[in-house]
Amino acid sequence: DLLQWPQISKCRSPEMETFSCYWTAGNFYNLTVPRILQLLYKKSNEEDWKECPDYITSGQNSCYFNASYTSVWTPYCVQLASKNEVYDKKCFSVDEIVLPDPPVHLNWTLLNTSQTGIHGDIQVRWDPPPTADVRKGWITLEYELQYKEVNETKWKELKPRLSTVVPLYSLKTARDYEIRIRSRQRTSEKFGEFSEILYVSFSQIGIGCDHCTEEVEFPWFLVVVFGVCGLAVTVISIMLSKQPRLKMLIFPPVPVPKIKGIDPDLLKKGKLDEVNSILACHDIYKTQLYNDDLWVEFIELDIEDPDEKNRASDTDRLLGEDHLKSHSCLGTKDDDSGRASCCEPDIPETDFSASDTCDATSDSDQFKKATEKEEDLLGLDREDNDESLPSLANIDPQRRHRSTQSENRHLWAPFGDSVQSPHPSVHAHISNQNSLTSTDFYAQVSDITPAGRVVLSPGQKSKLGRAQRGGCTEQSFTMDNTYFCEADVKKCIAVTSHEENEPHVQEQSYNEDGYFTTESLTTTVANLGAPTAAPPSSEMPVADYTSIHIVHSPQGLVLNATALPVPDKEFNVSCGYVSTDQLNKIMP
Amino acid sequence: GLLLVVLLVSHMLLTKEGVTSLPICPNGSVNCQLSLEELFDRAVKLSHYIHFLSSEMFNEFDERYAQGRGFIAKAVNSCHTASLTTPEDKEQAQQIHHEDLLNLILGVLRSWNDPLVHLASEVQRIKEAPETILWKAVEIEEQNKRLLEGMEKIVGRVHSGEVGNDIYTPWDGLPSLQLADEDSRLFAFYNLLHCLRRDSHKIDNYLKVLKCRLIHDNNC
Repeated sequence: DLLQWPQISKCRSPEMETFSCYWTAGNFYNLTVPRILQLLYKKSNEEDWKECPDYITSGQNSCYFNASYTSVWTPYCVQLASKNEVYDKKCFSVDEIVLPDPPVHLNWTLLNTSQTGIHGDIQVRWDPPPTADVRKGWITLEYELQYKEVNETKWKELKPRLSTVVPLYSLKTARDYEIRIRSRQRTSEKFGEFSEILYVSFSQIGIGCDHCTEEVEFPWFLVVVFGVCGLAVTVISIMLSKQPRLKMLIFPPVPVPKIKGIDPDLLKKGKLDEVNSILACHDIYKTQLYNDDLWVEFIELDIEDPDEKNRASDTDRLLGEDHLKSHSCLGTKDDDSGRASCCEPDIPETDFSASDTCDATSDSDQFKKATEKEEDLLGLDREDNDESLPSLANIDPQRRHRSTQSENRHLWAPFGDSVQSPHPSVHAHISNQNSLTSTDFYAQVSDITPAGRVVLSPGQKSKLGRAQRGGCTEQSFTMDNTYFCEADVKKCIAVTSHEENEPHVQEQSYNEDGYFTTESLTTTVANLGAPTAAPPSSEMPVADYTSIHIVHSPQGLVLNATALPVPDKEFNVSCGYVSTDQLNKIMP
Repeated sequence: GLLLVVLLVSHMLLTKEGVTSLPICPNGSVNCQLSLEELFDRAVKLSHYIHFLSSEMFNEFDERYAQGRGFIAKAVNSCHTASLTTPEDKEQAQQIHHEDLLNLILGVLRSWNDPLVHLASEVQRIKEAPETILWKAVEIEEQNKRLLEGMEKIVGRVHSGEVGNDIYTPWDGLPSLQLADEDSRLFAFYNLLHCLRRDSHKIDNYLKVLKCRLIHDNNC
């Protein structure tokens, strides 16, 4: 066992008139020669240590200082010593060691009970400790009351207060309670001992509610159930609500995760080429075109004046991002199909002027640049022969269809996708690159004449033909938001139905789509009387274009074909580029 | 809603220790005169508040600076007010005449005026003094002035004869608060705060005894 020295455990004054000190003798006492412990004390203004005046009154191992020995605000020092040794020493002043006795004479009275008789209020009163002279104001006490049910373990505490009367509210009449109180000097921190426990039993005074043992607990279960039901009803009603605004407010539409320009349908159908082309459009053009805020793309350029248009340099047109933006993604709703976000004109781009006219400016310098991009444009889905026209929907949906009738405000790119690639080399070269989908209709730039003309060879006629064959119906055109000009639709139908309308069709298509590819395609179409894929080389000669009229985007060029006549009729400026001649005819 | 907030706030402020919603008596008003009971009530509340602040301040200082320095053992020093013979137990407090006791109280309060002013200013020079200590020092100095005023009013009411102005102890502890040695300086603060706590307790007790004796006829 550890050796424990004698030490002073505490010194306490119950009423600030007397005080006592207590010590422990320790086990040291028994081991060695019994020594006599003494308690010596000294006031601060004295020199000598005096011995304890009373060893008895406070019990064993204690020293009691009565009132005559007590000076309240005087510093004392006491020490525990035997003859030679000082074991412990303490210094204090009496006002610091005040620990009052417990209150006495606890009792309680009933104030009232609740209507159901389950709860009751009582008032507890007590007397201050008798030793403390509260009446003369020598000591001011505050009291802390604690109570609990008989079978509980944790006491509930009330805030310390000065009064000796305390009400307790809402006690359960069916249960019995225990109450205890302790006191402390008002400016102290430590409390004295607890009083005796006061037992409160309502049954003793005859108001115990024996049958009220069941407590009305808070109906958590009901609350939860009703809360969930109400919430569910609210949610369902909002969801079914016809009011789109409310619905938007509560359930904002979560943007479908998509890659810009990619139609999830594409992925489903396995049209990788188109996916690639769409992806390509981001890679290629984003760096060049979309350096600025994409929102700018919705700016509409008012290109009423063709001269004005012509004045704008082609370089600007090619590279002007605002131009592109203004044109590239106009008027297409973002229907989460992925197409709306790809603003690259991977199809022959129509010039979406405010007047819906196509304009073209020529710039041979830009042509080369355009051709670079054209190659990308040419990357069409050549591998999937079964592709229907609607798969051209991957084109930039921002093409605004000039026709007011059509809901499909997309550029016509009807023929490209479905046409099988007559030039595997070309297509192979292009298809798997960053080529855009639905550019099948673009003719391959086979050569550039010294005069600056671009010699184009027709694109995928077979696809075109097939499109004519199989998918060239209203439905197929409109499916999947494919970009068709109305004329194209008509063309398509016309072609299928009337072979002899080939030139007409050709003209039509030429009219509406200024892209060179259209030429070839129309040629192809025209030649496709039967659903047979004819080699493009055997088709009608592709017109040589004299100049590039409009470079609306790097993806497309409007070429002014010199050879072919410009039909007046049915100049459906629904989409596509119009040659300047046509434009002049159209424009006032 | 706003009214409720205002009421709550005002209630909170008013129930703060030491602040009470006593009847308002505008300054300079001739007809309005607080009763002696109200004067004592206010005085007791103020003295209690001052003692409470002193106690807290001492505890905080003890915790913050006195640990491990052995200050306790040394703090048997007498305070500068020790020369004033104040009652040391209940017996003496009951026997002393109330006017004398009032004068003693006034004397102690006056004697603390100067030290409190310097305490408030010097405690700010303690390195990294906590904000609470600084604030309490200022507050105690303020409240002590108010209590002094109140006591002078009470003495004016109670005193039959002349008001004795001679009870006063000067304080010469300022140099010790400005010692260069940090240990000695902190010990000087420790002593001063210890004495302040003790004297504020004394005054609080004396006032309560007087209040019970004069107002409630020894039947509080």
